[in-house]
Amino acid sequence: MSRKLVEIAGKRLSLANLEKDLYPSFGFTKAQILKYYRRMAPFILPHLKDRALTCKRYPEGVAGDFFFEKRCPGHRPGWVKTAGVRQDDGELRTVCLVNDLETLIWVGNLASLELHVPLARAATPETPDFLVFDLDPGEPADILDCARVALILRDLLNNLRLTGYVKTSGQKGLHVYVPLNRPETTFEDTKTFSRAAAAIMEKNYPDLVTAKMAREPRQGRVFINWSQNDGAKTMICVYSLRAREKPYVSCPLAWGELEELAGQGDPQRLHFLSAEAVSRAEKQGDLFREVLVKQQKLPHLS
Amino acid sequence: MAGRAIWKGAVHFGDLEVPVKLHTAVKENRIQFHLLHQPDGVKLQQQMVCAYEKTPVPAAEQTKGFELEEGRFILVDPEELEETEPQSSRLIEVHEFVKTVQIDPIFLERLYYLEPDASPKGYNALAAALEELDAAGVCTWTMRKRSYLGALQARGKLLRLNTLRYADEVIPVTSLGLRKFSLSDKELKIGGDLINQLTVSFEPQKFANEHLAKLQGLLEKKARGEKIALLRPRRLPPTAPDQLLKALEASLKQVA
Amino acid sequence: MKTPEPRPGAAQQSSSPGDERAVHGIWSGTISFSLVAIPVQLVKAVEPGRVSFRLLHDKDYSPLVRRMFCPREGALVPPEEIIRGFEIGPGKYLAVTDEELESVSPERSRTIEIVDFIDLEEVAPVYFDHPYYLIPAKGGEKAYGLLAEVMSRTSKAGLAKFVLHEREYPVLLKSTAGALALITLHYHDEILGAEDILPPEAEVDEEEKRRIKTSIKNLLADFDPRKYADARRQRIIDLLKKKAKEQGEVEAPAVAEEGGEGPADLIAALEESMRRVKQQ
Repeated sequence: MSRKLVEIAGKRLSLANLEKDLYPSFGFTKAQILKYYRRMAPFILPHLKDRALTCKRYPEGVAGDFFFEKRCPGHRPGWVKTAGVRQDDGELRTVCLVNDLETLIWVGNLASLELHVPLARAATPETPDFLVFDLDPGEPADILDCARVALILRDLLNNLRLTGYVKTSGQKGLHVYVPLNRPETTFEDTKTFSRAAAAIMEKNYPDLVTAKMAREPRQGRVFINWSQNDGAKTMICVYSLRAREKPYVSCPLAWGELEELAGQGDPQRLHFLSAEAVSRAEKQGDLFREVLVKQQKLPHLS
Repeated sequence: MAGRAIWKGAVHFGDLEVPVKLHTAVKENRIQFHLLHQPDGVKLQQQMVCAYEKTPVPAAEQTKGFELEEGRFILVDPEELEETEPQSSRLIEVHEFVKTVQIDPIFLERLYYLEPDASPKGYNALAAALEELDAAGVCTWTMRKRSYLGALQARGKLLRLNTLRYADEVIPVTSLGLRKFSLSDKELKIGGDLINQLTVSFEPQKFANEHLAKLQGLLEKKARGEKIALLRPRRLPPTAPDQLLKALEASLKQVA
Repeated sequence: MKTPEPRPGAAQQSSSPGDERAVHGIWSGTISFSLVAIPVQLVKAVEPGRVSFRLLHDKDYSPLVRRMFCPREGALVPPEEIIRGFEIGPGKYLAVTDEELESVSPERSRTIEIVDFIDLEEVAPVYFDHPYYLIPAKGGEKAYGLLAEVMSRTSKAGLAKFVLHEREYPVLLKSTAGALALITLHYHDEILGAEDILPPEAEVDEEEKRRIKTSIKNLLADFDPRKYADARRQRIIDLLKKKAKEQGEVEAPAVAEEGGEGPADLIAALEESMRRVKQQ
């Protein structure tokens, strides 16, 4: 077991098990995972900033036991920023905020392969910054079907003067985010809107789309999981790794790119491994940047 | 007087078997607080409530699940969980011995006194042997459906069993991310002198729980309807790194 | 899940207005000895290893949460209406705010003042209650390091009193691998005597004792708790893995699926938009 001491921005970190292969059927060690997050830091940090982190930890690798943590581990270095989020029962839960590189590396060192964050920031837990359409394909539907759904959603939203942004989930589906970034938005609003939109989609494309969570209707269709628009739910953060057999990434795409790749008919083109995610980001910048800054208002809600 | 006997077992290693009864060794003295309903001071009761519908759910409709990830659970029924319970055995198996001083207090969990449950011959010999060698027996046993790790020690003629935390339950110091600062020989010397000047012998009977008495006083005052003066505690200003030596020297002067 | 303004008396809330204590570690304050003051935070040193389960409603697997219920009103009580109190007579309770509690021993609730140092060896294990770590806050790292180093070199520990919430604890500060651990101690009068359980005949069979000492010496090793694992915990984990494979997981229901389509205006706008999409 190797241990390496590093210093980032004057903070000391003890990194362990660097040569441990956490993706054994592919070959991707802890060191490589940390290197990935270090290179992606400029792109991922703004999307993690000030959000309560839920991490899924795989200390024994993707094939081993995993556990998810919402509470910030008590044994954290003093410089890890935290926030207190009040729970329904009155308890104050201490959560980690990944606001800097050193915290991102510390989290990675805990084998937190997957980083999940809520739609609202920790300080304003009832104000979603964006609305999401979580597109989840039920077999034999696949990511190409999700792409079809996403493109229709794009147009549906455009006609209402709303712009959406798309990313892969890193697993089987796609996510469409609609930035709002307005202090008066509530989860009630985003849930109402997304549910209504999902219902319209299902009504007009009944063989392609379902808005129901039950198992049966999801077979062979793309499920638009509108219930993700909730204060208690989290989404995989853009640029996060996924714990699958290979280090796939939740990767953003430009709409034109999605159209082109989906048109090629090869679902594999919509799965991005870590190396590709890094080169895309370094070449094209953060395609999801607007999700954090664009201000939009959901129409017709009163 | 020792607490009541909570379990019976036998210490075992080699061909030695010493039947014992476990007694609790500590009885905490504290004022219990309760949760009340603000307007009328009524004592509240705890209920298990459905997270979504906010309606109470009776015990008969409750089941256990392990939360694998958000909203997804692995169900277990009580019989299956029971099957994971360790075989009940009355033996406290001693696997090895260590020097008592090697056991860091961070590992100590709960202490029990042992009472001999049969002829005290084996008990007395074991206690004397452990006491003379300053040793503790590292042992495992099963009690109340749980697997325990513990240290068997002697103090005078009494045998005691201290449950120990498992290694992975103690958070390693390395995870705290502490930095090392360089300290000058002078700072270290004066610091050492200061500590030695302030050293006394450990006299635990001198600790009085003053706070408890004051808290009771506060409650009585409030009950009489008197107003409580709110005293806001001061925060001491931290000693800056470049002031440390001076502060140490001034302290030493004060006490020497 | 509102994050309300800290209100005096709200239960399970350990912050007063303007206090960051609740959100960093368990407590934050200052260690002092003589004229040296070290800002610190108190954090956990131990983490229970037991597998914890959630209670679910067996009809649809929604997770259950603990809520407080008022028997007089016959209703659940929101967190803002909950206050801490003490029993002052049978069935009679007196509410106390966090600030009032802090006023009982104000200095000790913010400062751990080490007045004496002692030889660590003099503390019998029976006194130890619960361990924590102290980590230095900004500006305190050097003084913290000094205290840890000097205590380590002199094999001494600091004795102090410390108030957390409504309890006061005598505590021991000791150095451990370069860090400071704070261990709460039991009061002397909380430790029960053992005179009544000690065997009346104190005589020791020398032959037996000699034999036992030989056994002990043969089995003497270095203390390494990593050799021992919690057998029950492992069996529960194995059971969970087995069940995950055989039966898979159940999913808690999404928030109420019924509840209407939404505002008429919105539906109309969406339908109009969809019409245009289909025309393209």
